[in-house]
Amino acid sequence: MSEAAIWLLVACACGVIVVRRRRVAVALLAAQSMLLGAFAIVDAAGESSALLVGGVILAGKAIVLPAVLAVVVTRTREAQPIASERHPLARLTLALAIALAVVTLMPRFGLTDARAEHAAVGLMALGIATAVVRRPAIFQALGFLVAENGLYLAALSAPGGLPAVIELGLVFDLVVVTCVAGAFGTKIHEELGSGDTSLLGGARD
Amino acid sequence: MIETLVVVVPALPVACGLLTRVARTPSAADHVNVVGALATASAALTLAALALAKSATPTQGTWYVVDGASGLFLAVIGVVGLLSALVSPAYLAGAGRGFFRAARARAWYYLGFHLFWATLLALPLVDNLGVAWLLVEASTGASALLVAYSGRRAAIDAGWNYLVLTTFGLTIAFAGILVLFVGLAPHGGSLATLDWQQIAAHAGELPAEGALLAFVLIVGGLAAKIGWAPVHNWLPDAHSEAPPPVSALLSAALLPTVMLVAWRVLATLGPALRDGVANAIFIAFGLASLAIAVPFLWRPLAWKRLLAYSSLEHMGVLALGIGFATPLATAGVVLHLAGHALAKALGFYAAMALLRNQPDAAAHPPAGVAHASPGTAAAMGISLGSLGGLPPSPLFFSELLVLLGGIAAGHLVVTAIAAALLGLGFLGLAQALIEGLLGGERQRAWRRGRAVRMTERLAAALGAGLIALSACAYLLPGSTAVRMLMAGVS
Repeated sequence: MSEAAIWLLVACACGVIVVRRRRVAVALLAAQSMLLGAFAIVDAAGESSALLVGGVILAGKAIVLPAVLAVVVTRTREAQPIASERHPLARLTLALAIALAVVTLMPRFGLTDARAEHAAVGLMALGIATAVVRRPAIFQALGFLVAENGLYLAALSAPGGLPAVIELGLVFDLVVVTCVAGAFGTKIHEELGSGDTSLLGGARD
Repeated sequence: MIETLVVVVPALPVACGLLTRVARTPSAADHVNVVGALATASAALTLAALALAKSATPTQGTWYVVDGASGLFLAVIGVVGLLSALVSPAYLAGAGRGFFRAARARAWYYLGFHLFWATLLALPLVDNLGVAWLLVEASTGASALLVAYSGRRAAIDAGWNYLVLTTFGLTIAFAGILVLFVGLAPHGGSLATLDWQQIAAHAGELPAEGALLAFVLIVGGLAAKIGWAPVHNWLPDAHSEAPPPVSALLSAALLPTVMLVAWRVLATLGPALRDGVANAIFIAFGLASLAIAVPFLWRPLAWKRLLAYSSLEHMGVLALGIGFATPLATAGVVLHLAGHALAKALGFYAAMALLRNQPDAAAHPPAGVAHASPGTAAAMGISLGSLGGLPPSPLFFSELLVLLGGIAAGHLVVTAIAAALLGLGFLGLAQALIEGLLGGERQRAWRRGRAVRMTERLAAALGAGLIALSACAYLLPGSTAVRMLMAGVS
């Protein structure tokens, strides 16, 4: 994978942390997944079964998952910006600090392409950081999917790739978990009139 | 026969869950649920019996393994799942507004419940770390909606936190599996590379740093789902907000079953780490869980929340027993697993009668239950007494075995700290029990409705089961039964 493509993947993840509009964030995730899916298909050229698996994953991650989230966004209109959100620059600074720390501390684990390995770890960290620094439910779900894309990048760069059963099972699980997250997002909005999870404030000890 | 049952056991609850979706009336859905649960539990217990009888020669297929450990966990999941399915109609009959539209709520509940149960039943059988991870992840989807079933704001919060925290934990665990897969790629690079036997066979050839990284990521990630401190934040909320039959399944079946996956990782990948490091990680999780849980057992908490913190304590005890890894400690783990399942499930089932008659108990400690309903009080007493380790509870013997196992393993300081924490935990629970049963103002007697009668019957049945387990405590240490039971993970 070229350096430009890797930076593009990271830029999409940073975009999810910064943007205010949920629809734009979903589009960024779709673009990130599309890029990874395209890379998988190019990599699998000539092998019909690998192409099929790559195609299913591309459809699942770049089309189905963003479509589910887009439906949730359409059903849950935010009348005004989420009050509890930090300033975008503060979010980005915090997320990048977390990601850089994790990339620096994480030892190499054997992928042939060191850049892809760092980017994979960075995407995972950025995904987790997204869930930490963003309050709306939809952004927390997006954070999870960005982290999963980091894992997918690592899997694509692994010698021989991951077994098809695991990759397909992972996409199935992602669809299930995203649908459940979507149901929660809709319910949270119904309950609070906003997707701001910080307003839920359940019982705490 | 084993080969057939391995497919039938997880398939039955899936079919049952789908059938409840097409049931036309609530009572038809209840009937499908009960019949399906009886069939599932019969198949699971038959397979468990076969697994235990043939544990000296585990049966292995292309994707499954039926060994002593599978048998033990299948039995626990089968029994708790059956009881939860049987009490679910009583819970649903009194459930108010919920997460789902009223017309379809019952069907969604049963679908989620049976899919959740199916993933739990499949987990001890799978022979592959990657597939086990997929099942753990799938269990999250089904169970998160069940946690939020009541539709209360606190329940939605609990379900959402459970979903987010456990999926991120499992993402980290998957990163560890990827690290392991990359390290083992020279030995195949196929799905079979992640089979337990393959991991055990080749883990020694992994670079020490890679093996440690994989182990820490996998076990650390799974810890978020097991509910080990300090990554347990979802557990108290989810257990206290979920419907009681689901809370029982979460606490008595889900947490230990995910722990079995971590245990198999310890048994297969652990030897590749520097001597004792893998066990020390388990012991650290165990001590942290005990240390964080015990202060909460002293606080005046709502009944289900108290049981949730007790789950944290008991997952800590199990982690210690697994980490000590001596025959005595392993015997303790086996007994603790079964005893905790029965006692905790009874506690959550008793919550149904309690909450129906004393709705304040959802947010406040119960009071004066012994005067209002002696049957419910008996169930609560048996449950909390057992969980506290009051003799002749099987948990008293199992905790003793774990502590003796710790001494045998040479972990004297850890054992002393654990013993002190368990003692404090016992006192905290004893105080909560006395206050809950005898404290507060004298109350009017509750009507002996369906929930109370059911709780009384469960108290008698599960109380007898707990006594029977206590009797087993004398037979377990050093017996071939434990060695054979745990052949799959030791």
